[in-house]
Amino acid sequence: MSVKIDSFGVTDIGKKRQVNQDNFLIADIAKTVQVRHSSLSTDTLGGKFGEAGGHLFVVADGVGGGPDGDRASEGAIAALLTYVTEAVGCFNEVSVTKEHELFESLERTVREVHENLKAEAEGRRRETPATTLTMVLLIWPRAYLIHVGDSRAYVRRGSRVQQLTRDQTFGEYMVSLGAWTEEQAATARPAAALSSAIGGSELDPVVGLIDLEPGDGLMLCTDGLTKHVDNDKIAAIFGNSGSAESVGKQLLSEALDAGGTDNIAVIVVNSAERAN
Amino acid sequence: MIQKKICMVGVYGTGKTCLVQQFVHSIFSVKYLSTVGVKIDKKQVRIGDQDVTLMLWDLEGRDGTRDVSASYVRGAHGIIYVADGTRPETVEQLGDLRRIVVDEIGETPSVIALNKFDLKDQWKLSATDESSAGGADFHRLRTSAKTGEGVEAAFEWLAEKTVAGTEKGS
Repeated sequence: MSVKIDSFGVTDIGKKRQVNQDNFLIADIAKTVQVRHSSLSTDTLGGKFGEAGGHLFVVADGVGGGPDGDRASEGAIAALLTYVTEAVGCFNEVSVTKEHELFESLERTVREVHENLKAEAEGRRRETPATTLTMVLLIWPRAYLIHVGDSRAYVRRGSRVQQLTRDQTFGEYMVSLGAWTEEQAATARPAAALSSAIGGSELDPVVGLIDLEPGDGLMLCTDGLTKHVDNDKIAAIFGNSGSAESVGKQLLSEALDAGGTDNIAVIVVNSAERAN
Repeated sequence: MIQKKICMVGVYGTGKTCLVQQFVHSIFSVKYLSTVGVKIDKKQVRIGDQDVTLMLWDLEGRDGTRDVSASYVRGAHGIIYVADGTRPETVEQLGDLRRIVVDEIGETPSVIALNKFDLKDQWKLSATDESSAGGADFHRLRTSAKTGEGVEAAFEWLAEKTVAGTEKGS
């Protein structure tokens, strides 16, 4: 089955911040062989040539306006891109064994960025810059996810939109342990502090995956969106059938209209069966 | 290092994620968040004189609108079927879930975790229900992700079977 991927990404400084520390990346991973024209059918060619073998989507949020947060988010994305570029040959067919190697490599890459940020900051005697990171590597139909911090990924199937990630914040942690109520987490000052971040005091990357079907969508965003636009509103916008660009711009606009107190980054991905 | 893929399979809300959390991190979360897709954790265990890394695939639970995805269990070395002892309907579906798995990967070392055993006043399973859960040839354990009862035993029993490789889940 051949699937068309429509994606769009955008970031905005918002209305209150002086610098934009959010970053995003959308990349196609392709084989180097491009079949321009052939008498062979698409089935014979295996549908592999001339199409992207995979897609990489990443958002990252430099933490809390800390020192060099923008550099941290840039660095995390660049490191993942480097890893994916080096490992690109492995992505055309992912076996169970290779799948576990992929998880470990992604996690190792994230940990290396974390250690490098800490070492670099220590050398300069500065506070370590930190960042969130939410990444999806889509090798159709499987979407591999790695997640750190409170940026988010959502999946849409039909009109149902579900959050794929869980925020790694102190508030969420306390609620999960039963130590705080949801109300306490919503109002307590340290609730928004990250319990896991690249470059932070703790790092606990979460990995996962989901198999997509044609028509499904993905949305990745930083908390500049979700602090202003709740899940019901996100579902209403992301659940409609607009293009990735129109949905992405609408989500951004909602966050800005609601105050835009933070930097915002959004990636929207739509899939559809390609007509032969 | 030997790696084994273990899948957690069951109806939604039976405590699959909590069992993994208890086994890997020794914590219990009181907040229920349904898993979407698959969350993957890992833990190293010692089986005999070998170190084994268990890759724990926590699959989204079956609910009224979606079934367990057979593609997620492909390549699994072992399965933990999880049922909630306070909801007999989750036990009744074990046979059906097993068929989905066996159709995809054949017979594989398996264990049934009859979970939430800490909720003794709400426990709805008789001794007969427990001994027949999932059909014949199953190893079954009462577990509590909250107290930890039976949790390590379930994972370690399965890990041993996957390493032994030849025995079925009986």
